[in-house]
Amino acid sequence: MEVAFSLQRLAVYKPRQSKKSKQTLDEGLVLLGRGAYASKGEAGWDALEKLALAALDYGNTEVADRCLKILSDKFPDSPRVYCLTGIRMEATESPEVVLRYYDELLAEDSSNSAIWRRKANVLRQIGKIDRAVEELSAMLDTYYTEVEGWLELADIYLSCQQYTYALQSLSHALLLSPQNPAYFLQFAETAYLAEDIPLALKMFLQTVDMTDDDDGDMTPSDSVPTGITLRAWFGVKLCTRKLITEPRAASSSPSNTPAPIPSYLSALDNLSTERLRTGYLDIKHESPPAAEGDLIAALTTLVK
Amino acid sequence: MLGQIMLLVATVALLHAAYSTYEHLSHLKALGRPEGSLPNDIVLETIAALFLAIVGATVRSPPLREVTWRSEMKRRAQEEEEDPRLSFSLFAQRAGLAPKVSPASTSL
Repeated sequence: MEVAFSLQRLAVYKPRQSKKSKQTLDEGLVLLGRGAYASKGEAGWDALEKLALAALDYGNTEVADRCLKILSDKFPDSPRVYCLTGIRMEATESPEVVLRYYDELLAEDSSNSAIWRRKANVLRQIGKIDRAVEELSAMLDTYYTEVEGWLELADIYLSCQQYTYALQSLSHALLLSPQNPAYFLQFAETAYLAEDIPLALKMFLQTVDMTDDDDGDMTPSDSVPTGITLRAWFGVKLCTRKLITEPRAASSSPSNTPAPIPSYLSALDNLSTERLRTGYLDIKHESPPAAEGDLIAALTTLVK
Repeated sequence: MLGQIMLLVATVALLHAAYSTYEHLSHLKALGRPEGSLPNDIVLETIAALFLAIVGATVRSPPLREVTWRSEMKRRAQEEEEDPRLSFSLFAQRAGLAPKVSPASTSL
């Protein structure tokens, strides 16, 4: 269980320079210098792996090499170490070398889904999108439950503007992890981009339902939407505006989602405007602009 | 704090009762009648230590977490870093709400 989880983490690793990794790197360097890792047992090896990843975040390949050497001496035949070696190679070697390394590993042991994911990552980075999609689809055919894999596939399709395929991939992610509102939000936004406005509206409202704190201490009319709820209300506003100004959008839903009837639609529009104005007031502490277009433009800069 | 004090006191009381029992039994052995029963105050001390330990451990437990998925998701959203793929600015660019930034500057 622990192995599967850490393999997943290695599969999705991308160098990202965050404060947390800087902290890990600084603390870890001190411990590494004193040789303290060898004596710590289980947690020590995990910490060594984290240190290697933090070092690669900042391009410090020498520290990463040292950690890798300690780990590979201790665990010579471990899929996690192979994955870590692959990540290390991606930092400096040319993509062809890395791809060959991953191919060798997969030929030996094709049950390591993390290696497969990283291979698709490398292919995407060098621009071979169609091969990346092929590899990723093959991997997801074998390991259906990798949510991150489905998200990555959806992201690739989105970057190529293949919105329908992206929607399909996201729907698998939703099936696998139906409690996470961020995926619903992503689905709703993709539906909006795919011009399926009724579906997008439905999904935005789902997100609001999932994230709105209606069992908190304030009555709903007093509560302030923040964070993901605000973003979802923003989406609702975009959809209702589009449905009102372009009636054709209501009937041309590729997924045959029925649009709300006009009285509900205008009520929803008013509600979302009011929610957005409350959110704006809360963030900026000044009165929001009255005109719809200005409100939307102002919120585009505020919503995270 | 109170819970820890209670636990400490309970532990000390238990150890004291155990030591008293040992002393009492060796006293009995020395006197030549090894089957005497334990004096009542040692028994009382042990039971009191038990109650104190239970109460102290309960008071000391960390605050309970919510059961619903919704609250769990809220907690995770605060802890985890934002996934750049799910960022709003990407959506805004693709939807035409915000001006497009050149591909070289958007991260993969």
